[in-house]
Amino acid sequence: MPVKSYKRIASLIAFVAPAFLFYALFLLIPTLGGMFYSFTDWNGLNPNYSFIGLGNFIEALREDPDFVNSLLFTLKYVLFMVVLQNGFALILAVFIESKVRTKGFFRTIFFMPNMISTIISAFMWTFVFSQVLPQIAEKTAFKFLDQLWIGDPQVSFFSIIIVSLWNGVGYMMIIYLAALQGVPQSLKEAALIDGATPLQTFRSVTLPMITHAVTICFFLTLNGAFKVFEVVYGLTGGGPGRSTQVITMNIYEEAFSNNFRYGYASAKSVILFVIILIFTFIQIGVMKRKEVEA
Amino acid sequence: MRLRKPVSLLITLFLCVGGVISFFPIYLALINSLKTQGEMFASFLSLPTQLHFENYTQAFNKINLLNSTLNSVIVSVIGIGGIIFCAALAGYKLSRTGGRLSALIFSLFIASMLVPFHSIMIPLTRMAKTLHVSGTTYGLAIVYIGLGVNMAIFLYHGFVKSIPRELEEAARIDGCGEFQTFFRIIFPLLLPITVTIAILDFLWIWNDFLLPLLMLTDSTKYTLILSTNTLFGEYNKEWSLILAALVLTAIPVIVIYAFFQKFIMQGIAEGAIKG
Repeated sequence: MPVKSYKRIASLIAFVAPAFLFYALFLLIPTLGGMFYSFTDWNGLNPNYSFIGLGNFIEALREDPDFVNSLLFTLKYVLFMVVLQNGFALILAVFIESKVRTKGFFRTIFFMPNMISTIISAFMWTFVFSQVLPQIAEKTAFKFLDQLWIGDPQVSFFSIIIVSLWNGVGYMMIIYLAALQGVPQSLKEAALIDGATPLQTFRSVTLPMITHAVTICFFLTLNGAFKVFEVVYGLTGGGPGRSTQVITMNIYEEAFSNNFRYGYASAKSVILFVIILIFTFIQIGVMKRKEVEA
Repeated sequence: MRLRKPVSLLITLFLCVGGVISFFPIYLALINSLKTQGEMFASFLSLPTQLHFENYTQAFNKINLLNSTLNSVIVSVIGIGGIIFCAALAGYKLSRTGGRLSALIFSLFIASMLVPFHSIMIPLTRMAKTLHVSGTTYGLAIVYIGLGVNMAIFLYHGFVKSIPRELEEAARIDGCGEFQTFFRIIFPLLLPITVTIAILDFLWIWNDFLLPLLMLTDSTKYTLILSTNTLFGEYNKEWSLILAALVLTAIPVIVIYAFFQKFIMQGIAEGAIKG
């Protein structure tokens, strides 16, 4: 039936065309274009450029300590975020779920910071870190609060983590809460009757039943943490110097405020993309296998 | 689950401390934005003795609040509307059509969900300049459509499977054309997932910072977030003014949160589980 199948394809194209047009212009072509330019020495203005093979990639990883440092800093950030964000979110979800009467109230409170734009959160916390905490330390006995929360890179790493957690935990908590509600009450009760402690019940009954949510939240956190930009931009601006610069910021600086080395900045972008892909596939692969076992 | 009393109390304590930390920065911003600079530096924790709203009037003008909010609204409405229109059409058709071409297009959309925005921001800004969409509110909205359709198509694609085909066949027999069937019969049935998509995209577009930063140069076109960012850079010691601006920027989302809390949480949970 060649006529009918032709009609079918025409109708498919008619329905998909508007979406595909926007998608191609602003996502597909830029993705491919970025990959293409990463192999060139294009400066963004000059119509002439030449292919330099893997030159940009080698330079970024071998001769650009700022980039490598930002990469390491980001990896450290990702590690902390994946563990802490999911840990806190899961604990909060379990605790909130156990409180029948105040469930709604606590859920509202803990999710609220997530509604506020990340950059606005970073500005609010800049106020807390630079003004409020030093004053509290001065006036009370909490002397440990007197830190260079933003000025000292050793400390400001944790400031960045605190703001990210404050802003992000609520989102994961909602996902965990939804998953916990799907665990049948009867199973938990059965375990308790059999003499399991609440902790044992959680480990052997609840946790295996929410592994799907754990996989998703790990995926979301991992993906989001590699792309961190706003928190650092708002809090430290990458400074002092470049000591708290994350990878996205390094790319941004290379492309938009430095010397317009578009080809080189594109290569860095591709490196970021590849790193995220690798980590995502490893994470999904490992956790899917766990899910099957459970 | 029944817990022993002390354990239960400890959990309550933990939640209360966490709740205070959660609310603390917002509370601080709120009370200090109502003080004069001098009163504020005397003590950040005390409540204001007198309510000073002049910080707010000043911030209101400095961030051009009405204009910036309007820009944010325009970008969000056009962006979300465009995403929903394009993605519903495509997601529905891709879900209903078998064959290799359909599967190929669908997997193209899905694969692109893994592309980080920061990896394409350089070529994207070039593309926007070439197409003359950068620098305008409408142009920014159009770029959001391109960036947002993939996830929306994915969600629609999954949802359409739950709608029985008999409905379309009945409509067809009654003489409806394909587009008519879609808009009259199918689209209304997609409402639950449409709401989810609208919420997720609203939170993303309204709160987004980097794309407007790259696209907009004229301060009259700035979104709310971008205006506040500029103010923060210009007046970085005038905390009472900055805090007032931060509160003004946070108010719209807090209000929306208060009204649509249930939908927002449902939307996030659904969006994640389908993903």
